[in-house]
Amino acid sequence: MSEEPKPIGRTSATERDAITSEKFAFWLPDDVIVNPFDIVAVEQVNQPGESASRTFGLVTTLEHRTDAPNHLANYISSNFGQLGEQPNTNRQGTTVAMANVLSNTADIYMPVPSERLIYFAQPADIQQALGTDILLKERKSDAIPAGLIRMSNGAAAVAYLDRRYLLGPESAHVNISGISGLATKTSYAMFLLQAILQTAADKDKIAVIILNVKQADLLQVDVRGPELPPEQKELWEAMGLTPKPFDRARYLIPRGEKGAPNCFPPEPNVYTLYAYDLPGTAEKLDLLFSNVADTSGTIEGIYGEIKEIMVNNEPDAQKMQSWSGLLEYLRQTGVEKGRWRGMFAGSSIGMFRRHLRRIVQTRQTGIFVDSRARNEKLLADELTNIKGGVTYVVDIAKLADDEQTLVFGDILRTIYAVKAEAVEDRSEKAPVPDKVIIFVDELNKYAPGDSKESPITLQVLDVAERGRSLGVILISAQQFMSAVHPRATGNSATKIIGRTGSSEVNAPDYRFLDQDIRSAVTRLAKGELLISHAVYRQPVKVIFPKPAYKQEQS
Amino acid sequence: MQPLAFLQPALNLLNTNLDILPAVGGAVEDLLQPDVDEIEDMLINAESREVTEFLEAPTPDPSNIYRPTPPLYRPQKHLYHYFIDGSLRTYYLATGIEGNRSFPIELAQIGAAVMQRDAYGVVRPLVTRQRILLLLPRGQLGVSDTLWGELKKLNTPDRTFEVIDTTEKNAITPDEATVENLRARAGGIARNRMHKLEIEMISQTDAHRNKSAWQILDGAAKLDELIKSPFLIGVAKNFRKDPEFRFGRGHGRRLDITKILAGLPYASRTVAFSAHGGQVAFWYVRLREQKEVDYPLMGVVKVELPRPDQAPVDAELADLLSRTLVAERNVTPYGHDNRWHCHLYPIFLAEQAIKTGFYSKDVLMGMIRWPRPAQTSLWREK
Repeated sequence: MSEEPKPIGRTSATERDAITSEKFAFWLPDDVIVNPFDIVAVEQVNQPGESASRTFGLVTTLEHRTDAPNHLANYISSNFGQLGEQPNTNRQGTTVAMANVLSNTADIYMPVPSERLIYFAQPADIQQALGTDILLKERKSDAIPAGLIRMSNGAAAVAYLDRRYLLGPESAHVNISGISGLATKTSYAMFLLQAILQTAADKDKIAVIILNVKQADLLQVDVRGPELPPEQKELWEAMGLTPKPFDRARYLIPRGEKGAPNCFPPEPNVYTLYAYDLPGTAEKLDLLFSNVADTSGTIEGIYGEIKEIMVNNEPDAQKMQSWSGLLEYLRQTGVEKGRWRGMFAGSSIGMFRRHLRRIVQTRQTGIFVDSRARNEKLLADELTNIKGGVTYVVDIAKLADDEQTLVFGDILRTIYAVKAEAVEDRSEKAPVPDKVIIFVDELNKYAPGDSKESPITLQVLDVAERGRSLGVILISAQQFMSAVHPRATGNSATKIIGRTGSSEVNAPDYRFLDQDIRSAVTRLAKGELLISHAVYRQPVKVIFPKPAYKQEQS
Repeated sequence: MQPLAFLQPALNLLNTNLDILPAVGGAVEDLLQPDVDEIEDMLINAESREVTEFLEAPTPDPSNIYRPTPPLYRPQKHLYHYFIDGSLRTYYLATGIEGNRSFPIELAQIGAAVMQRDAYGVVRPLVTRQRILLLLPRGQLGVSDTLWGELKKLNTPDRTFEVIDTTEKNAITPDEATVENLRARAGGIARNRMHKLEIEMISQTDAHRNKSAWQILDGAAKLDELIKSPFLIGVAKNFRKDPEFRFGRGHGRRLDITKILAGLPYASRTVAFSAHGGQVAFWYVRLREQKEVDYPLMGVVKVELPRPDQAPVDAELADLLSRTLVAERNVTPYGHDNRWHCHLYPIFLAEQAIKTGFYSKDVLMGMIRWPRPAQTSLWREK
């Protein structure tokens, strides 16, 4: 027989601090420990003839109150500030916890009466409190474990995400934010991808594209790492998951100087080099200039004309077979008299050429080639043939900013095209995966929060706003949500927040969090994350296990 | 049980037999006089205005009546384990008229609480009790004997509700009742009953008190009669300021209390004096430095120690009682009570424990419904 749950406090309404349909307060006895984000249960009224209902609450803050009307009273109570004095009697005081109402078992949102006993919610209660109980009962296959809720009494429950709200069709996308190093954003994204793949009945219809942006962090995701400590294994198992590396990974590494792979060591055992020649980039020249200020639209006009010439195979196209050829063509055009194609002055062409030369010649990392070797593929060609059940890792860690933007934009545009239309170039016989999940860190680089809407930003917004219906799912991360375009984060139905500074967390982007919860976000420990999911009534704090694949540090 | 259910039969009885002029708003709370404790001290210790004897061994030197008593904190010596206090609220309900006599009808809530302090300094109520008193005069100033007899039948066996005659004499109301002083007497009698309840409740700790576990009673150690319980002191925040002290050969050295207390150093006590024929030893203890308070008599408490055997108090015991008492100055109810400078926090908590058990004024107002007299409306007459 299970042990009778012990009460941990009583609800308290006062003249000044009322219990409302949104919040309730409860005091705690001296020997009870409660922390923010614990989930508690309290008895509530019900319709006549029905047994009492229960209301669940999420603890947001705790405060200690005493009968001292002000600090001066305490100063005087130490015999006018004598530090050596001891209090003979402890001042009357209690810790009061504030809780946000999560749900009621009978959908009764009357304020909870005062003096009601409070209990820690049991694991089954937690699913009910979050609103995932019906998901587990009726659509268990759609329940994706997203972390473990661990409460102060040691009880734990799995926080499930609803697949229909994570991968569509109801809503989609995940955005992760938090301070670098502490928030473990990448680790969490990799865990979530594992959870999605391990619980999916149709995992062969899901393809994953991961952009590796730092060191060689994600260049061994299919290699098993050292044995995980038992507590980490238990965490995996508690969520019904297996600690294992990704099953089928393909690594796409950028070409470096002299054709060597341009990635941080250790490089993967098997990989494909990718590079950009001019013909393969003609359609994406706009992405190349995403980071260049173009207030007058001159650059946009010039690359538009170049694209036109190349696509229509106009006579000048013969001079544009390579980056060097294009630069030479532009050099000559810039010194000729009169306006190029009747529109652009020589100085504008010169300015365009200088930017292009910087990007593809003088500051490039080796990714831009005049002609590709047999083993140097176009990224778009590789991704046009994307297959379900495969995890593609595209390394961009060593690329320059403009190159990273081009690659990410190329990925989005290619996948969007593959999913949106029947692409003629696709040679892969397997069907196009139903879902393509793209994970990218530092989203603020590609969709910054300022008003400038560059080609790459528009591409990201397009995926954020319309990707759900096509099955293109974005799992994005950044340090500061406020630095990302609000339409990109706003379209993420699931937001994950790690430790964040107080100035950031008070930005308007975090208004979906209660003020008390925002304060708690500044105190999250390493490995602790807050999940705000479309199905949840309040955000919850979770922990998650370390990845089982080989990491650079391991 | 419905709150105050025992009250309605009494109100019905009064309404049936008297003409009732209800107080404005149903009932009016009688405010306490600010110096009520001091007045009480004067009444109870009426015969002790002149103090001529010490009650301390060895006999103190009249030229040196102060002894240092630096604080001895709970971790070093946890002496006071129990604290007892009473509290009351009185309400003027109505003026009753019977024949040619009119008189006030008052209601009082009285209560007392014994608080216990554990070794960690945490104070919790050990016992609390509350009572409701219906106070009105009987006889030539009040209700007839017949009605009085009916009213007394409503007393509950557990004394939760009691009808009390406001013409009775006791230590606090020693004077004859008059039409003019009936309301004031009702307050005094309620205080007297409150003190009696306190004294009753001292027995709750009889089995627990010993030389290492003393009890502090808020106020004097004598009421109508002397409290004889051992290991107990009375500590008064307010006390009479008119005693005269005469010592020395032929009681030649004369001091008034103001001079004595103004000279009483910080964390010191006076020697023990004798009162009530040597049945009570009392002395004064300064809890707070004079510079910290507004005038010299603030921060001083009067300690009363029952000596039923009239034996002088041992100086070392008085020192110990005083040193541990000085340590009780921390913490204080500063900001909640004007008497914070000499208030003991556990006593303050006892007051709070009692008051939180009282019916609120709103509840009282809701329960006090004087039945309307039968209406003689015109249509009935037709």
